Amino acid sequence: MKYAIHTLNKAFDHRVRLGVMAVLLANEQVSFNDLKESLDLTDGNLASHVAALEKAGYVLVNKQFIGKKPNTTYQATAEGKAAFQEHLAALEKLLRGG
Amino acid sequence: MKPVAQDPLSQLTEIRAIMERSSRFISLSGLSGVGAGVVALLGTVVAHYYLQQQYGAQGYLRLFQTSAAERWAALPFLGGLAVAMIGLALLVAAFFTLRRTRREGLRSIWTAPARRLAAALAVPLVAGGLFCLKLFVSGAPELVVPGLLLFYGLALLNGSKYTLDEIKYLGLTQVLLGLAALLLPGYGLLLFGLGFGLGHIGYGLLMYNRYERPAGAKFAAS
Repeated sequence: MKYAIHTLNKAFDHRVRLGVMAVLLANEQVSFNDLKESLDLTDGNLASHVAALEKAGYVLVNKQFIGKKPNTTYQATAEGKAAFQEHLAALEKLLRGG
Repeated sequence: MKPVAQDPLSQLTEIRAIMERSSRFISLSGLSGVGAGVVALLGTVVAHYYLQQQYGAQGYLRLFQTSAAERWAALPFLGGLAVAMIGLALLVAAFFTLRRTRREGLRSIWTAPARRLAAALAVPLVAGGLFCLKLFVSGAPELVVPGLLLFYGLALLNGSKYTLDEIKYLGLTQVLLGLAALLLPGYGLLLFGLGFGLGHIGYGLLMYNRYERPAGAKFAAS
């Protein structure tokens, strides 16, 4: 059976981006460190993938300072949530052989 | 990190696992519950013998008629026993849960969901503990056991959204036992042992069987 891969969203074709969206859908707001911890990633790796998702308009980045410490939190945009749900639906459809 | 999974099934499975792991503290070991339950049973037995030795054969029942001075005299022992039980139970629970996280290759136990779970439990527990302390010293010792069971049950219900579903049912069980203890004050000590002791042991074994037994299916459809 051949998978209809073209129905899948290109923005999610990397494991890290898929993971970031999964965490952001399960949790309203997530800090950089918590995200890194959940996905077991390095700083640079996570930053570049989150930047790609931000560019696609799927993730909202909030940069704040707690005292002198930078505290960046991430949040999925409505568009990002919808796109991710669609991606999941497409995966499920592939599973059913549609 | 492994490369992107190719087939849709493993992608979906992984997404589901990430969502679960990032929002819930699922490494809680069932053996933690069993250990805490054993500690609670031991504490209940110690309290029973202490009360009998202090107040004669009637023990716990006689506590209801004590004067304020008598209760202040009993407070160091009973309060100390409670603190020791909580400390010991936490220690045992931490031991088994740490062992489980280590076995599963997780690096840290103090993750975001674990912190959220701790905060969700701590607020009702501290408030309930202080409330029951006040009940004890101001002349309503018969309400202490129902109060402890109710507040603990509500704390578990509050925390259950950040951990395994079984915790919700453990919480409901404690709330029901707390209400039963309100109606049957004389059976307070028995219901305390039932809730904090057997309740923890029962649900702990259930969770251990479901998620941790080496041969059993791990994390079957959750």
